[in-house]
Amino acid sequence: MHKSAKRSAQAAAAGVLALTLALTGCGSGSNNTNTGGDAGGKNAASGGNATPAAAGDDNAPVTFSVFMNGPGQQPTPDNKILKLIKDETGITFNQEFLVGDLQQKLGVMIAGGDYPDIMSGDDKLINAKAYIPLEDLIEKYAPNLKKHYGAVWNQIKDESDGHIYVLPSYGVYQGKITEPTYQGPGFWLQKKVLEEMGYPTPKTLDEYFDIIAKYKEKHPDVIGFESLNFDWRVFPLQNAPEHLSGHPNDGAVIVDNNKAQIFADKDISKTYYKKLNEINAQGLMDKEAFVQNYDQYLAKVASGKVVGMFDQHWNFQDGEKSLISQGKLEDTYIGFPLLYPGYEEWYRDRGAVGTNRGFGISIKAKDPVRIIKFWDKMITEDWQKTLQWGVKGEDYEVNADGSFYRTPEQRANADQTSWQVANKISGMFGYMPKIQGTYSDGNAADAGTQPQEFFDSLKPYDQKILKAYNKKSWSEFFKEPKENNIYFPAYSIVLKDGSPAQLAQSKLNDLQVKYLPKAIMASPAEFDSVWQDYVDKIHKLDIKAYEDRINEGIQQRIEKWSVK
Amino acid sequence: MSDAVLDKQVKKQKTRKRKVDPEIGVSLSWKTLKVQKQLIFMSVPIAIYLIIFNYVPIWGWVMAFQNYHPALPFGQQEWVGFDQFKFLFSDDTFLLVLRNTIAMSFINLVLGTVTAIGLALLLNEIRVKFFKRIVQSISYLPHFLSWVIAAGIVATSLSIDDGIINVILMKLHLIKDPIMWLSEGKYFWGIVGASNVWKEVGWGTIIYLAAITSIDPSLYEAASIDGATRMQKMRYVTLPGIKATFVILLIMNIGHILDAGFELQYLLGNGLTIDYSQTIDIFVIKYGISMGNYSLATAAGIFKTIVSVILVFMANYTAKRLGEERLI
Repeated sequence: MHKSAKRSAQAAAAGVLALTLALTGCGSGSNNTNTGGDAGGKNAASGGNATPAAAGDDNAPVTFSVFMNGPGQQPTPDNKILKLIKDETGITFNQEFLVGDLQQKLGVMIAGGDYPDIMSGDDKLINAKAYIPLEDLIEKYAPNLKKHYGAVWNQIKDESDGHIYVLPSYGVYQGKITEPTYQGPGFWLQKKVLEEMGYPTPKTLDEYFDIIAKYKEKHPDVIGFESLNFDWRVFPLQNAPEHLSGHPNDGAVIVDNNKAQIFADKDISKTYYKKLNEINAQGLMDKEAFVQNYDQYLAKVASGKVVGMFDQHWNFQDGEKSLISQGKLEDTYIGFPLLYPGYEEWYRDRGAVGTNRGFGISIKAKDPVRIIKFWDKMITEDWQKTLQWGVKGEDYEVNADGSFYRTPEQRANADQTSWQVANKISGMFGYMPKIQGTYSDGNAADAGTQPQEFFDSLKPYDQKILKAYNKKSWSEFFKEPKENNIYFPAYSIVLKDGSPAQLAQSKLNDLQVKYLPKAIMASPAEFDSVWQDYVDKIHKLDIKAYEDRINEGIQQRIEKWSVK
Repeated sequence: MSDAVLDKQVKKQKTRKRKVDPEIGVSLSWKTLKVQKQLIFMSVPIAIYLIIFNYVPIWGWVMAFQNYHPALPFGQQEWVGFDQFKFLFSDDTFLLVLRNTIAMSFINLVLGTVTAIGLALLLNEIRVKFFKRIVQSISYLPHFLSWVIAAGIVATSLSIDDGIINVILMKLHLIKDPIMWLSEGKYFWGIVGASNVWKEVGWGTIIYLAAITSIDPSLYEAASIDGATRMQKMRYVTLPGIKATFVILLIMNIGHILDAGFELQYLLGNGLTIDYSQTIDIFVIKYGISMGNYSLATAAGIFKTIVSVILVFMANYTAKRLGEERLI
């Protein structure tokens, strides 16, 4: 009797446990999917048919939550621009910038289906169906946006299902493209080095490393050539061969006649890394280049000891900024477009439309119509001037012939972070649809791209250097960009999560970060055998899957994106 | 509850004929449940907590057998059986990271335990209280640093320009040129082991010191009378005295053999050392989470869990057979 009592108690306990497990498990599972599905359906529907309340009462106070996938600074509560926006539209924003790791944050958001009203674009969120399609909303409520994106309408559609989920923030130009600062790739040299060497203009790798070698001979303490091979910032090591051979930045592939192939194993790569191997043997290469992390790299740049490097300007700019704030302008850099003999330069490109980089509206958004109308208002020239230049008379002036300029005091203000957080919304504006190029009155979109304003804003030292080269801006060291190929850039072609193409890309990257440093640091006699080993390993991968996917993407883009 | 009631209950328990199961202790029956209802009520919240946070998530394991897609409802997920596991075990990289994980874990386990016990023994012999406290505080402070900071310190000390390790070795004329410690795979495990010892040795010592204080002082006196030297007392009194603690900790740590760590390896590793630095956790991040392949990540997680459970039971069983203390 006793035994059976014991057993029944245990059975009951086990039963309860199992039941609880099953209930909670199923319950939460089905709940999640239900809410997800419903919310999506409802919002999509309300997107299609105007919600009467929203249409009628346009300036009622409302707060939208905004998530941005990069770090940034919160504007002050009494921010001038946000106040203007609130007065004119009734909208306030609850801005959330990324803190910590993006992938982790996205993972949590997707797993919980917990989305803010507005989210910056991300392939992962698109794959998770976290955005509502925008094309019907734009057709119905946003004539200005429709006009703004008209020329690239086909390009900004998602490749998988043809909906527009994200409004690109950059790359839609009007008028003239003026770009005095250069943010792209190049072989950089310190200004003081150029000054000392009598303002040379290196055109080939040999000339470039010759300058470094000569300078290092006189100043043995400096670091000749720097590189970076850390985390996702591996492009300083990987990308140089494609530029040297006259290709624009297409990522891991070069595209000739609409046909993409990887270049990691080609001769254009071998030539470059062999050269690096040589200069390493000469002691010009930083020995620690391949074991340091990004912070150490920036610290080296900021120390002013690095003579040159190949990199994208934006990637080492934080180090350079620190040099500027220390007043060491002579330690900052000018980029040069080096080439192999016989190739035509293509370093600068017309920034491609940043598909999936901008804002989208989430499936959980309260009032999509209101949001799209807001963006539509913001893309008008008057608002753009306010957002980019500031308030007339306060942040910029207009001279007799109608061109915008800033007084030295206004320039000084604009450089200060404390002033920016109170008078600009740079963080959020970075993700909003924006006008680039020039306004219809001929002024550049923002102060940084107004040519005269740019030159006037430079310090005397920089003006002296530019005069010595007989140029007006840093980008003039590079050729005017050619017209983009329709599919450009190939690196933005989406590889399906977990597909063989993605796996091949990832493994190729692993091989590069492992073997390229090895090859560069090997003794010159060993270089060829290390290189052969590396190429053999690449050929064992399923590179074809990767190239096929990229080529498929290129063909799709040519077909779909062409503007009739 | 008044004393009278308690007395009555105790009497009732005593008078009742109770059958005691040697394995479980008190046998489970409705009557015992009723008698111990306060205890039962008190444990209910804990049980609920455990069910919600430790059992419900097991439901997520089904992901490992699917080609999981985050947005789809459960019914529409594609089932792939053991494909994710097959991929794991046929992938060269996974076998490599498994090796690295086990190797580094093993190094950490051995080095960590040996140094912690060693330091505890030495500290125990120190008679100057003040000095003992200082040593202890200094040795456990690094434990409170995050690995991000600790890895920065490690990387800086190993740097070739003016890293302290290279400077010392050069001053001692042990090496001619500074060594790039972080560029060679063969040094990596050693660096990880040493970093772990530096960071955790003081913390690990605390528990052994606690165990030592509970040893009966009369044993030492008896040993002294028998003419034991200091070393002999350490060997024959102190060490056997902390054996139980050692075995329990060993069993628990063996369960974590596949958790060699993530942060240190991620932060110190680079392309040149990737063959030695990548652990299972890094592999999961790279090929699972960041490629959106949650199923693969889950499969690797399940693998880790199962191996851990098996190892713990094996260690526990061995300890039991050897007549030692055990966990379960």
